[in-house]
Amino acid sequence: MVPRVWSLMRFLIKGSVAGGAVYLVYDQELLGPSDKSQAVLQKAEELPAPPKFNFHIRDSWNSGIIKVMSALSAAPSKACEYSREGWDYLKERIK
Amino acid sequence: MSDSELGRKWDRCMADAVVKIGTGFGLGLVFSLTFFKRRMWPLAFGSGMGLGMAYSNCQHDFQAPYLLHGKYVKEQEQ
Repeated sequence: MVPRVWSLMRFLIKGSVAGGAVYLVYDQELLGPSDKSQAVLQKAEELPAPPKFNFHIRDSWNSGIIKVMSALSAAPSKACEYSREGWDYLKERIK
Repeated sequence: MSDSELGRKWDRCMADAVVKIGTGFGLGLVFSLTFFKRRMWPLAFGSGMGLGMAYSNCQHDFQAPYLLHGKYVKEQEQ
């Protein structure tokens, strides 16, 4: 009983998907005269995804690289300074 | 046919071929996935149909100026 209902449901879903595709082709006249196809192609070319996301990725990547490199270049002097401060602090504590 | 008109006809033919072959492939893909157990023949069938339709359209387009259109003229009875 239940498997039959399930197979009927599956058939209906498949049929509606396939029927929707056929209706889409009929509605947009994709298989019609060549003028319509050319217009559809031009309309499809006019909406590419805006490149705003690529722009942000590039900027954030570049700033990240710059930050990492400047931190690496300043690391030895910073390490010197911190170790000297730590040594002074220990000397103060010992006195 | 002038050169620009010929170029426009070729452009129309190429665009039409791309759209029709793509549509045929897409429809074949949908039908292959839904009803024909993911076999390959609906894809080939759909693409072939699209190619044939595009070829026929192109042929009509290019042959158009050479087709003579005649008109029937009624004889004036005096």
